[in-house]
Amino acid sequence: MQAFLITCVSLLVGGGLAGATIVGVVNNQTAAPSQSPGDSTNPSLVYGQTE
Amino acid sequence: MGPTLRRLLPDLWAVLLAVLLLGPALGAGYLLTYDMVWVPDLAVRGDFLGLGPALPRAVPSDLVVALADEVVPGMLLQKAVLLGCLAAGGLGAARLAGPGLVARSVAVSVAVWSPFVVERLWIGHWPVLLCWAALPWLVLAGARFRDESRVGAALPLLLLVGSLSANAGVMSAAVLLAVAATRRRRPLATLLVLVGAANAPWVVAGLLHASGATSDSTGSVFALNGDGLPAPLAALTLGGIWNAQVVPGSRDVLALGIVATGLLAAAAAYGLRPAWRRLGARTCGALAGLWVAGYLLAVLTWLAPDAIGWLAAHVPGGGLLRDGARWLALCVPLVVVLVAAGCERLVRRLRIPGLRPVVAIGAVLAPLALLPGAAWGLLGTMAPADYPDDYAAARAALSERPDGDLLVLPFSGFRAPAWNHGRTVLDPLPRYLQPDYVVNDELAVDSLVLAGEDPRTPQVYAALALPTEVARSAALTRLGIAMVAREHGVPALPTQDAPLAGVVLHDGPDVEVVRLAGSVDVREPSAGWVAAVTVAWSAYAGLLVAAGWNTFRLRRSGIRSSARGR
Repeated sequence: MQAFLITCVSLLVGGGLAGATIVGVVNNQTAAPSQSPGDSTNPSLVYGQTE
Repeated sequence: MGPTLRRLLPDLWAVLLAVLLLGPALGAGYLLTYDMVWVPDLAVRGDFLGLGPALPRAVPSDLVVALADEVVPGMLLQKAVLLGCLAAGGLGAARLAGPGLVARSVAVSVAVWSPFVVERLWIGHWPVLLCWAALPWLVLAGARFRDESRVGAALPLLLLVGSLSANAGVMSAAVLLAVAATRRRRPLATLLVLVGAANAPWVVAGLLHASGATSDSTGSVFALNGDGLPAPLAALTLGGIWNAQVVPGSRDVLALGIVATGLLAAAAAYGLRPAWRRLGARTCGALAGLWVAGYLLAVLTWLAPDAIGWLAAHVPGGGLLRDGARWLALCVPLVVVLVAAGCERLVRRLRIPGLRPVVAIGAVLAPLALLPGAAWGLLGTMAPADYPDDYAAARAALSERPDGDLLVLPFSGFRAPAWNHGRTVLDPLPRYLQPDYVVNDELAVDSLVLAGEDPRTPQVYAALALPTEVARSAALTRLGIAMVAREHGVPALPTQDAPLAGVVLHDGPDVEVVRLAGSVDVREPSAGWVAAVTVAWSAYAGLLVAAGWNTFRLRRSGIRSSARGR
């Protein structure tokens, strides 16, 4: 019984960690580019964007 | 597992996480990202002391680096600072978490693999990261000082390392005073002297520039941001920097953010009792007070951004408040202590011994799984860069230069050169060259342009707008500018890159250096300013001497006692 419980918890913990990692990495790689597109009227670089 | 391995494991974990976080940044070259600019040999110059016309934002960090890279080359120094800082922060968190293996390992993960560290690293706020690393050690050193009233060698050094910028100095001072202050007059006076000396350079330089120590009122753009979560929740997980460009994409996944907040809050609540028992009411109370202060200062910028913008615009030094998420460093010690204690308690309470390693490993790895975008230098984003050879040639051309300042054109503050992988960075050329310099310190955020704090910025714009090359050069020399370094291939408006009259000293593929025609009104700081700055830096250096002397004294007494023992 204990071995079964340990296996279940291990699968739960490992699966949770792996799932979170995959979701995070996929979102990271598919997110919109963080740099803003160029602005021909003001070519100075933006220091940052709040959105 | 042997006791030595149990003791070393969290320390090794801290070093491993630091390496994993920096990844390619540890390779040959310089990590240049937003405000992080390191050059091969930063030259010492008067403005680094705080004597320039602009509000000195990099006092004392620039001068400390300029002196340190006389001993260690700039590239190595940057790697040592970044790796050492992240590893030391993890080690400090482990010490603060107590003796248990689980608690120490979890503390390392929570402290190092946190949104706070990742975001500050990406935006290049390395003095803030050094402060973050120093804080757990300051808590430990402060508690020891409270009990023994002895300064020792570590405390002055920690204060020096943790006070390399204004925000960092305030946070280091707050942590030390909150933990170590007592009602006894002499120890309290000692603490105040230590804190005063560590912060003297930027405080005095700031006071000398008090009339210009206000910022643009639209500084509310620097308010706490949610990273995909409501901002107050993001702050609970130690994240929420204003700049969405430096937030890993994985922070935008709402589910991950909610899970991270829930796990952190549950573990912290569960660890409250054991942490309180181990550290005592005095230290825990201090850490709780610091957490409340850090959290409120951060959330205030989100709740009342216009009020903070008003403060920054009207109260000298009020600009310190505007980057709200920076203050979350004050929350780190309590979060680390509570979460570590909660996880340790949970693992100990498991009745089935076989489950303990599973849950312990899960707790240690959870911060990494919830922020996977940080791994290996933000998944390869933080690749180092090599400066163009032409920069060295331009520097050599300025080795025998006229008196006066250097103006860098195009007159804009940030660059994204191809040789830096197109990454945004504060223009590194003025730091690479040797003279005091004038740069455009306006900041473009979203569609806003925030006014700079250097009174010469509008004057340079006005000079560049004059109709002829000779008139422009003459106007610039009247501002104390003797040389111009013009970077090629930088997108700019004509008003930021106007032609000038002068003698070309160097014309390379990347940079042209011109000595301006006309006689230069060389600016000289007043004797009063020089005296004030000298006193401040003497106090700062005195702290270093005190640390060295205390180290020597402790070593000597250690050798004597071991000789008596034999």
